[in-house]
Amino acid sequence: MQKYAPSLVMVALSLALTGCLKTEAQSEKVTIKKNPYPSTYQTVQSQTTLIKNATVLTGTGERLNNADVLFIDGKIKQVGQNLTVDNAAVIDGKGKWVTPGIIDVHSHLGVYPSPSVESHSDGNEATAPNTSRVWAEHSLWPQDPGFETARAGGITTLQILPGSANLFGGRGVTLKNVSSTTMQGMKYPDAPYGLKMACGENPKRVYGSKDVAPATRMGNMAGYREAWAKAVEYKRAWDKYEADYAAGKNVEAPERDLTNDTLKGVLEGEILIHNHCYKAEEMAMMIDLSKEFNYHAGTFHHAIEAYKIADLLAENGNCAAMWPDWWGFKMEAYDMVQENAAIVDAAKNSCAIIHSDSSKTIQRLNQEAAKVLYRAQESGFDLKEEDAIRWITANAAKSLGLSDKTGSLTTGKSADVVIWNRNPFSVYAHAEQVFIDGVKVYDRFDEKYQAKSDFLLGQANSGKE
Amino acid sequence: MKYIKYSLVAVALASVSTWLEAKTLAITNATVYTATEQGVLENATVMIDDGTISAINPETVNADEIFDAQGKILTPGFIGAMNQLGLVEVNAVAATRDAADKKAKITFDASLAFNPLSSVIAYSRKGGITRDIVMPRGGESIFKGQSFVVDLSGTFDSVLEANNAVFAVIGAKHKGSRALSIQTLFNRFEDVEKKIAKAKKAKAKKADKKPPAELKRDEKVLQALLKGEKPLVVAADRATDLLALIKLKERFNLKLIIAGAADAELVAKAIAAADIPLLIDAMRDLPGSFDSLHVSLNTAANLINAGIKVGFIQRDTHNLYQLRFDAGNAVANGVAKDKALAAVTANIADMFNLNAGRIATGQAADLVLWSADPFEISTKVEKLWIKGKAYSTRSRQDALRERYMDKSTLPAGYIK
Repeated sequence: MQKYAPSLVMVALSLALTGCLKTEAQSEKVTIKKNPYPSTYQTVQSQTTLIKNATVLTGTGERLNNADVLFIDGKIKQVGQNLTVDNAAVIDGKGKWVTPGIIDVHSHLGVYPSPSVESHSDGNEATAPNTSRVWAEHSLWPQDPGFETARAGGITTLQILPGSANLFGGRGVTLKNVSSTTMQGMKYPDAPYGLKMACGENPKRVYGSKDVAPATRMGNMAGYREAWAKAVEYKRAWDKYEADYAAGKNVEAPERDLTNDTLKGVLEGEILIHNHCYKAEEMAMMIDLSKEFNYHAGTFHHAIEAYKIADLLAENGNCAAMWPDWWGFKMEAYDMVQENAAIVDAAKNSCAIIHSDSSKTIQRLNQEAAKVLYRAQESGFDLKEEDAIRWITANAAKSLGLSDKTGSLTTGKSADVVIWNRNPFSVYAHAEQVFIDGVKVYDRFDEKYQAKSDFLLGQANSGKE
Repeated sequence: MKYIKYSLVAVALASVSTWLEAKTLAITNATVYTATEQGVLENATVMIDDGTISAINPETVNADEIFDAQGKILTPGFIGAMNQLGLVEVNAVAATRDAADKKAKITFDASLAFNPLSSVIAYSRKGGITRDIVMPRGGESIFKGQSFVVDLSGTFDSVLEANNAVFAVIGAKHKGSRALSIQTLFNRFEDVEKKIAKAKKAKAKKADKKPPAELKRDEKVLQALLKGEKPLVVAADRATDLLALIKLKERFNLKLIIAGAADAELVAKAIAAADIPLLIDAMRDLPGSFDSLHVSLNTAANLINAGIKVGFIQRDTHNLYQLRFDAGNAVANGVAKDKALAAVTANIADMFNLNAGRIATGQAADLVLWSADPFEISTKVEKLWIKGKAYSTRSRQDALRERYMDKSTLPAGYIK
């Protein structure tokens, strides 16, 4: 066969040459749809609302006492004193605290829902080390009762990520925490996708135990590098196709590959990296890896040892999303310190976040942040409630690429607002009212505003009349 | 040789601690949360002699050491339960796990594996935990083994009582039926009961030629349960399982404690009537399985209001220190503060027959002084005593934090 090769090349060349002729019509351009499962979330007509005389933590590092918060048409209109407006629903905020809606950058609600039955265990396509082709949104069960309990804890925005068994786990999806029968009804409009990556013990254990690469941390690194190297080629092929097509050539589009579609999205800056990575030395290598292939290393999740490299993270513009105190479940979670987030936060241009990764603690991210705040105060950090609130609002919004939309009580942003019965960093704090885009989605004292999952509806019916 | 060395160390340690505890200590000017009917005592003095509370508000204060509490809150040390403290260092490192063994049965004595030097112990003291009921995870048998009591001193003599309770698990199964677990529970007790009765009968009729078969090790454990010498702790969630356990208790007159008990609200009256105490996770509110569809953050308050004795448990060993936050959240969801305190002190002590968990004369001097409200996140432990001796809350985590906050130009490795 080999001897025929040159002539085949000749044929190909001549075809290619013909392709260049301007006279030939171009076939229809192949484009990759970036958002084939679009959000159908619609803001309900929202009531103009004025919260009066509350303690307001803006999410921008400010605390305003005796302040008013006004939102109109689903957007924050103004935060200040003695505000007045016609036809507003006025809420007496005396003794209450108001914060931006709470954002969790790391959740598995809906993909590892309650009840945790195998039939609903859809959070990790642990069948290959690189499953960048899978999207968490395609697993989402909107009836997970955890969405409701999280909403009662003030969660208005959350990112649902695939699990961490794989080097590349797939795309995450950011949701508004509204009650909906479809994933699309919750999907945050125009939020960038996330790509879940994982360092360390999980991928090497899951695949190593099956005698499949990776089995070591160096195997992990090789796995990332091979994938990115291919993705770079894939992107180049598509870029060339686009350029040639733009130049009027009739060219064949490269073969479509879902895995590389996702990685290409990262290389183009449209998809953000969310990297499960605990250890200092691994995070430092992931930063170099991103430089090797020219993308941004994004947010490090769990980041138990972020405090060891706080300056490096800040210099490179990485967020770190951390727990206050989970530890000891793996070697890579052995070096926990409760002040981790505070140490990360202390670096200039830092981005410290408290996340949950849990259907339990997502209900109390305020308390999770409080643990860090008060332990850090004991260790001499000059931190206050107005600082700590950023870890679960503005910084989280930044990590998700939503800084222009939510995360602070700034004029023009979505009116994602929580009214707390007291200082939200108290163990006794409750979210009393929660608003998303100015619409009340939860009220602790009014059942009308307490959604209930289909799953829990009508259980324990004794049959008695 | 190893055994001999160990016992010599133990003897040496024991004699040192005896000498230390011989001192008398007076904690003065404390706001004492007694966890007894006495409630809160303002400006109180607690006298400690030989590791035990010897007097409260004595006529005269005469002690080797006086500690001024400056009006701060003094509570009994909190008592953990249902975790694997000292039996696991790192969950995913199998060689550091000693709580489970496939072959473990009702006789499984996990106290033999307890490691008082586990880094989890010092860390747990940050939460004001001074004692713990450590539960084995067992193996394939529904009987997981026997729990043991430790103090959190981190010393080699911190196992206070081995085999203090038997632990069993029933309920939802991935393979097979829950019915068989319940049957097994009943059958095991019935069989031993019969064997004991038969032996008694044989003893009465000396005429019998064959001496009665002696009870086997596992049967002796069941016998101890039948005699009420120790409690049986059964983990169960679904209402039908809880009702089955009520029958078990009544049929065999056991000292029964139910752990988990997600559905308890549905059968609260029956549990209260049967006088069965519950060990619950106050933070549980999601239907984790079809066995737990009826649990909410109000469950703790509702069970306590139904007259049930409730203890709060933090099952995550590494986060045992969070127990006080669980109690605080229970208060936020309707539990009275004194009841929440009892749920992490006196009630656990009562369930497991400990001489601790209350600030009262004759009780072990396991005490914690708090900077403010013990359940509040902004509060910290200021001082902690176990059997009258002060212990630090400093842990490995503090050393790590200090190392990486040090601004010295030396590589971190040199900062100790």
